[in-house]
Amino acid sequence: MIKIDNVSYSYPKGGGVSNINLNIDDGEFVFMIGPTGSGKTTILRLIYMDLFPKAGLISIDKFDSQSIKKRKIPFLRRKIGVIFQNYHLLEDRNLFENIALPLHVLGYDKDEIIELTNESIEEVGLSGKESHYPYELSGGEQQRACVARSLIKDPDIILADEPTGNLDPVASFELIKLFEEISKDGTSVLMASHNYNLIKGRGHRIVEMQNGSIRQ
Amino acid sequence: MNKLVFIFAEGFKNVWRHKSSAVSSIFSIYLTLIVSGSLLIISQNTNKLIEYLRDKYKIEVFFKDGVTEERVTELVTEFKKKNIVQSITVISKKDAERIFKSQFGDDILGLLGYNPLPISCVINLKKDWPSRLDLQPIISDLKKYREVDEVRHQGKLISRIESYYDRFLQIMIIAISITLIIAIFIISNTVRLTIFSKKQLIKSLQLIGATKWFIKGPFIIEGIVHGLIAAVLAVYSLVGIIRFSKYLIYDLTEFGIIFDQVFIFQVLLSISILVGFIGANRAISRFLK
Repeated sequence: MIKIDNVSYSYPKGGGVSNINLNIDDGEFVFMIGPTGSGKTTILRLIYMDLFPKAGLISIDKFDSQSIKKRKIPFLRRKIGVIFQNYHLLEDRNLFENIALPLHVLGYDKDEIIELTNESIEEVGLSGKESHYPYELSGGEQQRACVARSLIKDPDIILADEPTGNLDPVASFELIKLFEEISKDGTSVLMASHNYNLIKGRGHRIVEMQNGSIRQ
Repeated sequence: MNKLVFIFAEGFKNVWRHKSSAVSSIFSIYLTLIVSGSLLIISQNTNKLIEYLRDKYKIEVFFKDGVTEERVTELVTEFKKKNIVQSITVISKKDAERIFKSQFGDDILGLLGYNPLPISCVINLKKDWPSRLDLQPIISDLKKYREVDEVRHQGKLISRIESYYDRFLQIMIIAISITLIIAIFIISNTVRLTIFSKKQLIKSLQLIGATKWFIKGPFIIEGIVHGLIAAVLAVYSLVGIIRFSKYLIYDLTEFGIIFDQVFIFQVLLSISILVGFIGANRAISRFLK
């Protein structure tokens, strides 16, 4: 599903990644660990084509980083759910509106939006909080709302960038379990984290990043 | 269709969400529309004035002695084909005699024993000519006919009036263009301020796969709504200003101010939609680059 072939990227002010090779299969759950600044976020940004490799090739389904046209990037991103440490929920919209947003982008009708959004809210255990605004939710609830927003469009890939960074240990383990369930349904999950304790012993592939390269 | 409904709904909601910036944007567009509207009204009234003056323009053509009335009729038919000619009145020798008598009180036939007055025609020009009316070509053309003895006209005066009118039209076009460019910059800057406060929304929309137009749409609708509100307010203000001006000059002149409310509203509405669209699109496109 995701094929990263000898990819390098460098920021104008320094840093980046070099010679990255990584393949992630359908339904595979991969942890990417490494200290801050090791290049985890850069790889995720390269995958959702917020950045483009200076060398090498990234292929996702029928899209690849060399031939994709700018106007086609939104269509690639519809296959990807991105989750951040800082949630990125919209403060002026309630939980329901935040989660429903991708469905508006995809052009669903009103009834479908109501039905799917309510299902998604229930799936992440936030029923009853539909009208709450992000500031009225706890960190864990906000992160689950982000997961719901990513899942609602039924993505093929989930990219999670330090999703447990602001969560307590219990909420963090709950989130990992949620990702595992998603992965079992066939969605590939690539989760970046610097917290090794959180992921060790769960039986998933671990990719270790250091100074912009994958540690062999 | 669902996307379109969402984009429109978001655009209208945004006007309410960004109330404070909306007020300053609407007020700025309102002022530029008042200026544009006033310039339009001035143009319309100047048009009326120039039409009034053009109505008085006349070219008198005197034919040589011996030119028959039949030949004059043929020549008049030819003159009528010229594109700036509105109508032609032929003055026969008998008509000329009658005019002479009415103006001077004497019967020229009784005085001289014969009628020396030539056959002539008066050419009236088109008053709704869209640009500068240049008499020189038609006068030179008329003088080329060997049957024509003399062509009388107010050439210099007409030329001066037309040249002033021409300059006035140019100034109006420049003034309206400058006003519109200012309005575009105002909307563009207001939308840009809004965009900075909506960075997170734009980023989120990009990440969930929204196309450029889906992201742009609500901001453009917002800009257009600002323009529409400003246009309605501007038209009502202009109605008030014109009524008050009419009241003020009522005793001074018979020249009533022309104010085609529907036309001005249509023009300002179109301007506001155009300005709103261009201004908002400019701001959001720069951000999405």
